[in-house]
Amino acid sequence: MEHASGFVLPNSGHNRDAEASKMGMWLFLFTELLLFGGLFIVYMVYRMINHEAFLLSSFELDVTMGTINTVVLLVSSMTIAMSITAIQKGNIKLSVNLLYATLAAAIIFMVIKYFEWSSKIHHGLFPGMDYYESLPKGEGLFFYLYFFMTGLHALHIIIGAVIIGVVIYRTKKGLVTSEKYTLTENAGLYWHLVDLIWIYLFPLFYLIH
Amino acid sequence: MENKNLHKTENHKEHHISSYKDHFSTLLALLLLTVVTVVVSVFGADLRSLSVATALLIATVKVVVVAYYFMHLKYDMKLYTWLVVLVAVLFVAFTALTSIEYFNR
Repeated sequence: MEHASGFVLPNSGHNRDAEASKMGMWLFLFTELLLFGGLFIVYMVYRMINHEAFLLSSFELDVTMGTINTVVLLVSSMTIAMSITAIQKGNIKLSVNLLYATLAAAIIFMVIKYFEWSSKIHHGLFPGMDYYESLPKGEGLFFYLYFFMTGLHALHIIIGAVIIGVVIYRTKKGLVTSEKYTLTENAGLYWHLVDLIWIYLFPLFYLIH
Repeated sequence: MENKNLHKTENHKEHHISSYKDHFSTLLALLLLTVVTVVVSVFGADLRSLSVATALLIATVKVVVVAYYFMHLKYDMKLYTWLVVLVAVLFVAFTALTSIEYFNR
């Protein structure tokens, strides 16, 4: 940062504080947790009011697809955690390959989600469709929350996939090394958060009968 | 910064490196818990209230495992763990108060 007087801040442009970056990431994750936390409370209250309707509607969801997606996300959480181990050990190639594996898992998750949503939309369950409008209020609320919460989660998967893509690109360019891997760590933290939210969404929508 | 067991002075060198094997074991534990929760739900559907509590309990155990091992809380500064606990307490308190409010109407 050059100033007119010629004064240059010490270490200008070269400050790197891995701990501070990580703390920043965690603080952001807390805002994410409270965002979804608020939605979980909305779900809880509507469920209390419409207990039978929520029960009935939850049988409409495909437990098999939900379970497969849970496994896909858990495996991807492991691959990105391993990718950090690889970069720490200086194994760039393995780190990148594990990131590709994580990216593949994100895509598989979205493809399965696409089929799930398509089948629901085919049955007219998306808010605003004729069949949805004809449902009793409680069942409508269930599907409204289902689309809203899994939709917001899917958006996080897409953002996570883009971030992982950036990490792959920067690692390949040599900007992420065994000495400087904060980017991989923070991408990992974000990806684990996406997994954490799904760990609650899955039983709440698919399993609690 | 807490630095009890590690004596290296370079800042980024003191990080604990989790082994591939540890990560794999963590995954196996998570998959096992997933199997348990699906089985409890699918085959225990008649035990309604039990399965709600069980499913949420298992989900919470899974979340703790992910945060502790995958998100590295076990090896990071304790401050991160305390912040996570703080956010969790805040959320649980608000959830509990909302339920109490509802059930006392």
